[in-house]
Amino acid sequence: MFSFRLIYLQAIKHDEYAGLAAEKHVYKQIIHAERGMILDANNEVLAHNIPVETVVADATHVSNLQATVDLLNAELEIPSDQLAEKLNSGRRYIVIKREVPAARANALREKLRGGNLRGIYFEHDATRLYPNGSMLCHVIGFADFDHHGIQGVEASMEEYLHGQDGYRFIEHNRAGNEIVPYRGEERASRDGYQVHLTVDLGLQSIVEEEIDAAMKEYSPQKATIILMRPQTGEILAIANRPNFDLNFRSEAKPEEMKNRAIIDMMEPGSTFKIVAAAAALNEHKMRPDSEVFCENGLWNFGGSALHDHRAFGRLSVREVLIKSSNIGAAKLALSVGEQKFYEYIRRFGFGERTGIELPGEINGVIRPPQTWSKISITRIPMGHEVGVTPLQMTSAMATIANGGKLVTPRIIKSVTTGDGKIISSLSPVIQRQVISAETAKQIGEALRGVVSDQGTAAAAAVPGFTIAGKTGTAQKVNPNGGYDHGKYVVSFLGYLPADHPEFVGLVVLDDAHTSKPELNYGGLVAGPIFSHVAEKAARYLDLEPHEEIRKAIPIQRVEKLKPAERLRKTAPAERIALTDGPQR
Amino acid sequence: MNRSRRRNCNTVNAASLARWIVMTAFVALAGLAYVYLTLQLYHLGERRKAVENELASLRTQNDIAAAQIAALTSRSALQRRLKEGYLKMIPVSESKIVRLTIPPRSSDEEAVQPVANPLAQHESK
Repeated sequence: MFSFRLIYLQAIKHDEYAGLAAEKHVYKQIIHAERGMILDANNEVLAHNIPVETVVADATHVSNLQATVDLLNAELEIPSDQLAEKLNSGRRYIVIKREVPAARANALREKLRGGNLRGIYFEHDATRLYPNGSMLCHVIGFADFDHHGIQGVEASMEEYLHGQDGYRFIEHNRAGNEIVPYRGEERASRDGYQVHLTVDLGLQSIVEEEIDAAMKEYSPQKATIILMRPQTGEILAIANRPNFDLNFRSEAKPEEMKNRAIIDMMEPGSTFKIVAAAAALNEHKMRPDSEVFCENGLWNFGGSALHDHRAFGRLSVREVLIKSSNIGAAKLALSVGEQKFYEYIRRFGFGERTGIELPGEINGVIRPPQTWSKISITRIPMGHEVGVTPLQMTSAMATIANGGKLVTPRIIKSVTTGDGKIISSLSPVIQRQVISAETAKQIGEALRGVVSDQGTAAAAAVPGFTIAGKTGTAQKVNPNGGYDHGKYVVSFLGYLPADHPEFVGLVVLDDAHTSKPELNYGGLVAGPIFSHVAEKAARYLDLEPHEEIRKAIPIQRVEKLKPAERLRKTAPAERIALTDGPQR
Repeated sequence: MNRSRRRNCNTVNAASLARWIVMTAFVALAGLAYVYLTLQLYHLGERRKAVENELASLRTQNDIAAAQIAALTSRSALQRRLKEGYLKMIPVSESKIVRLTIPPRSSDEEAVQPVANPLAQHESK
């Protein structure tokens, strides 16, 4: 009888009882994988890990509840009632506190040992440290307590950054110490990969410094600066305001956490004229020297008046861009027709996501010609009735700078292992040839004239370099309909050097406050900011200036112009007509 | 009487006794060895755990130091120190920059490298 019982227990019921015993004694210890670092193009650290410990408890192992609660309350500053509730739950895995600094955890460990208290365990973990604080905050993003990225690159590259946790089955003795010989199945963790961005922190700090200066000087509601390499689509620098400190993200307001370069929609204003000019030239409806009659500053079309800031007579296509004539741009769009003009808008990438590796990017709004009003064809060329993101505008200008090729903007350079082995290296993606190289060259030549004494952005000039660019001043759209009187979105979009572009830059200030309202123009506000950024960036990138050009453009004289003189010399075209506003 | 007593006495089989003693000793030794090895196993386990803890502690210290280095050498920290006056840096003026316009020559060629900055050339004269 005894023998049969022995066989029954040891052989037949072995697995069942072994399982029950294991459940009682065996403990699955998680071996946390370290989240991968984020680095800039030159391996400067943007997101790093700092070791912390997670204090966990096994309620079934807790012997002296009150003493344990008192100690945890004193060391971790957690209310006693919360601790007592957790430790009375009977659960075998309770997270007491996360992100406890290693030194504090060691002190607690010693006190638990000294007090012979059982049931409290420590798991190695890590938390994110962002050494540069608020710099590049919207791009880097952040992760939650479970190390899952929820914004920026932390979210979009989650698959690579996260790594794979390991585990180990262990047993404890009566004192709560692990019995090492009884270790069970074990799987090692795999740390996350390192993500390298295309952003150069040297350029980024230039941009951050200038955007801070602009915020101080003009107190705009929002601001964005982007630098992009046109040939590859690499984002070299990107900054938005308002911003927040990644190390104190819990204190950030939702408005501060928006990456406005990709999720904010704006009416671009006159910078959009490059699309109309490119369409007309590429379709061979016009040549750069073809003349357009600009109706002496007032044109009635479709029952609505369209104004220019000055009474222009006949202007060449080139001059339409230099002088920023609204009537001229409207006639360029009319020359290609609604359908064709719409096709060009779409071919430049408007109305669709650029495809940058950042979460939350929006399409923008480009309505199909079927829904256009009679006057839409005259308003869209000057950047009204369309919603675009700053990055889409930058990408469109990069297309001009890049011989007509639209390249996907990208922020990820490569993914590597901790020891530098390349897992993935991203190559430039040319989406399509939007316009011919010849057309792009013609537009580029016209845009050089914008940054001259004859153009609207003399203040955007950089000593020693040729710049091609376009100003924009759009009346701010009121969310309740119509436009906000006296509020403008001013911008400058350009590239440098004009012959062999090294970078495309965009400066956008939303609702800048100038000393006088008549000074609130793209050329006068965003232009000088672009000039400062571009000059410092050119120096940083060691671009060779052309001495003869340095002598030809007396930048000091341009900067010292009095506002009234500047207005007379470079009367901005876009603003006058915008006060008329499109009919909606 | 004496005869019958002698008959009742069994003789000790020395070989058998020795065999039993050896077997018992072997079992005892095996038992002791088992206990010793088991204790050794626990002891080595404890040592392994201690080494693992030490390794983890060193790794933690290393990671903390790396994080501190990253924080102290970050661009933001350096710029802050620059503003506070702890670091002094003067921008290089354009006239001091010399640009090489041709690929660098091998070191054994003792030739003056041509430069592309006429200002720098002028100043050097």
